Amino acid sequence: MNQNLYHNKTLQWVFYAAAFAVIGAVPLISDDAFLLNQLAVYGVYGMLAVSISLCWGSGGILNMGQGIAFGLGAYCMAMTMQMQTQAEGTIPPFMLNNGLDALPWIWQPFKDTTTGIILALVVPTSFYLIFGGIMFTARVSGPFFAIMTLATLSALATIFVDLQPYTNGVNGISPPGSLNLGELEIDPYSSGAYWFVFAMLVACTVGAKLINQSRFGLVVRALKDDPERVRFLGYNVAVYETLVYTLSGLIAAIAGCCFAVLTQYVSPAQFEVGFSISIVIWAALGGRNSLIWAMFGAFTVQGAQSYVGDQFLSTWILILGFSFILVVRFLPGGFAGLVEMILGRFSKPQEEKAPSGLAFDNAKEVAK
Amino acid sequence: MIGGFLKIEGIEKSFGGNKVINGFSLNVFEHTLQCLVGPNGAGKTTTIDLISGRQKPDAGKVYLNGDDITGKGEHEIARKGIGRKFQIPAVLKGLTVRENLEVAYSREVNALRNMFSMRAKGCKEKLEEISGKVRLTKRLDVEAGLLSHGETQWLEIGMVLMQDPAILLLDEPVAGMTENEIGLTVDILNTLKRSHTIILVEHDMGFVRKIADVVTVLHMGALLAQGSIEEIEKDESVRAVYLGTEDAD
Amino acid sequence: MDFSSIAFANSLILGLSIASIFFVAALGLTIIYGTAGVINMAHGEFIMLGAYTVYALQTFVGIPYFLCIPAAFVVVGAIGFAIEKSLIRYLYDRPLDTLLATWGVSLVLIQGTRLTFGSDPKYVEIPSFLSTNVEAGALSLGAFRIFIILMALGLAAAVWYIFYKTDFGIKIRAVTQNREMAASFGINAGQVYSFTFALGAGLAGVAGALFGALNIVLPTMGAGYVVEAFLTVVTGGGALMGSAIASFAIGELQSIFALITNSTFAQFLIFVVIVIFLRFRPQGLISASGKRR
Repeated sequence: MNQNLYHNKTLQWVFYAAAFAVIGAVPLISDDAFLLNQLAVYGVYGMLAVSISLCWGSGGILNMGQGIAFGLGAYCMAMTMQMQTQAEGTIPPFMLNNGLDALPWIWQPFKDTTTGIILALVVPTSFYLIFGGIMFTARVSGPFFAIMTLATLSALATIFVDLQPYTNGVNGISPPGSLNLGELEIDPYSSGAYWFVFAMLVACTVGAKLINQSRFGLVVRALKDDPERVRFLGYNVAVYETLVYTLSGLIAAIAGCCFAVLTQYVSPAQFEVGFSISIVIWAALGGRNSLIWAMFGAFTVQGAQSYVGDQFLSTWILILGFSFILVVRFLPGGFAGLVEMILGRFSKPQEEKAPSGLAFDNAKEVAK
Repeated sequence: MIGGFLKIEGIEKSFGGNKVINGFSLNVFEHTLQCLVGPNGAGKTTTIDLISGRQKPDAGKVYLNGDDITGKGEHEIARKGIGRKFQIPAVLKGLTVRENLEVAYSREVNALRNMFSMRAKGCKEKLEEISGKVRLTKRLDVEAGLLSHGETQWLEIGMVLMQDPAILLLDEPVAGMTENEIGLTVDILNTLKRSHTIILVEHDMGFVRKIADVVTVLHMGALLAQGSIEEIEKDESVRAVYLGTEDAD
Repeated sequence: MDFSSIAFANSLILGLSIASIFFVAALGLTIIYGTAGVINMAHGEFIMLGAYTVYALQTFVGIPYFLCIPAAFVVVGAIGFAIEKSLIRYLYDRPLDTLLATWGVSLVLIQGTRLTFGSDPKYVEIPSFLSTNVEAGALSLGAFRIFIILMALGLAAAVWYIFYKTDFGIKIRAVTQNREMAASFGINAGQVYSFTFALGAGLAGVAGALFGALNIVLPTMGAGYVVEAFLTVVTGGGALMGSAIASFAIGELQSIFALITNSTFAQFLIFVVIVIFLRFRPQGLISASGKRR
């Protein structure tokens, strides 16, 4: 019997509780506003890594365009925040610079904060629902799907740059004020903001873990293995794939909203191909099959990258590239896979593999 | 009800100009075990593909209990009560034996409802029953990819039993099994056919003799002969086309 | 907006030039994808290495431009060969992992180039007679662009010749159709894959030799070609003819769209057209191998 502690469900939840307790306790230890903001941004990256682990680790769907949901969510949130600072009847300054004299219809819904926030979640999720639905019902192959996410991301980046009067092009949108939720102002450099993002991170990770443990999660893991077999059992595989992809998009959209709140600056850089693939790298290094280890992967890589600084950035990325190659080639489970292997050494060995027929026949003899 | 529980009417299928199924019709009655035999290339597996929805017929119709299921999607046909076991055992290698059996318990296929449920009702009891039947009780936590060939066959049989469809399509279920294992399969199938309908593709005539109610001989994509095993073995056209079927396994 | 026939004719000619660029960029990828089903995310970087090879040979060794082009083929081909032997060959049965591993290679190549040559733009010199414009009545096109069109035709012919008129070509096609059967006839499939990958890389190097002169040379220049090269290959289906037709169609459409709107939006429209096309025909124009699950 397999007693690998790594797979022990209770222990996993204990690990989650401990990890989140530590992460949540940080503002109690430090009151450095800039550090809290920086760490909160890492929390955003953590959420993105979790979202990739959900659709890639669980569902086997390689998504190289998570920036789509992230960017769309971030832009919607930035637009909401921008409109919060606009007095009634005025329009953002960059629009005036681009020759507009009235608020474009696409910006109108963002005048209302609640609508804006809802759109920030609904727009990316709907995009994923439609895009995923089209792709998965057509039963395109994994690599084909991955390339299409990449191409779609590029196209989106192009269009956001191109629609300068509406999006301020390459300059992006920088709302001059923090997000206000009713009476509450979320100052990005406060522990309030940190805990806000922390709450989102916990909610998304725990939610994803519960989904993984549900019947839905079981079917998703099965279709990663053999989608045809799962179809013959009666499950509509395309629906399951679309849903898991959309859920990962929802988490990425939430991350995007948090990002806008924390940095008060959203630009087409959020749609950069390199960034979206970085998310995959974080998840791969941390452990694609584990939500929490993917999250740690994001923390570690991004943390190290900031620490390394600009001077050694090239060398750092070189090392990252090499590590990525090594992980893909030799350790597909990432660091989490290593942990699983080590913990496996300390558990009881599994029963010897039985050759065809023999053990069965012996069992029958014994049973007689 | 006119016609059989499963009714196939004049189906045809070509692959790139090659006509594999040429006007094949079949009536399968409820609670019987029908064996589909024939030389290699006769079109047996393709027929199974056409029934289960893996391929769509170019012409002809397939009816399940009066329902037209021609050309429908695999999962829809599976929902309507057709389960399939593949020639090369198809199990979910990355999942444990237990998980394989749990997934196969597909009473609830709605994705949203499944998101909010941790275990399926009745799954645990059924799993105990089936894992006992297929002798995998001690291997439940083993990764399916690590099973021996025989065990993998058993697992897939177990999965089809968990799925519990009205009609089972079995493609060479005893390939690679020992005498003892074949004996057990015979017992399972003979019990099963009292409550289910089974269509079985097979080469081993000894095995066929022990379980078949009706034997259908396929040749060049069309029906050559049909009847009880004794009638088939006496049939001259069958002998002419299909010699030496008594494989010593 | 100018719908005069001259503007339209010029846009068709420019479209031909764009098509030839797509084709040359996608050629190496077509061969690798069509043969081994490998999606090489480092393809853009092979193009970049070709450009840097030309720059380095020109600047430090003084080799004339036209000789630099075959040199780029050899150098980048050798690099491709090494990468196939050390990494790609272990991932043939894992297509998603090949995608990721080659992305890692692309990161390594970009940063390695940056550390070696620096991030500042470099320039490739071309012979002065190619720097002029060729005029035919009211139609005009840069001489270098005409050169690229001719190179595209030449390369297409060369690759066609290799695939259909040489021993090696027969082996490639045999291995593509059925690897095990080819092996049972004594064909060393591993060697075939290595040399095919090297061929694809070498062709990317040639593309870089050309593009480096068209635009500036930067460590990140490859990124601009990867997505379009992929879309060309996927639309074409993986066959040589498919990529040729696809690049022609995409190039011309993009040029014509650019007449109506600006060139950025034209790119976006092309993309939408491709996605819709692929939704209804995922195997591409001419399917080399069905990639359904």
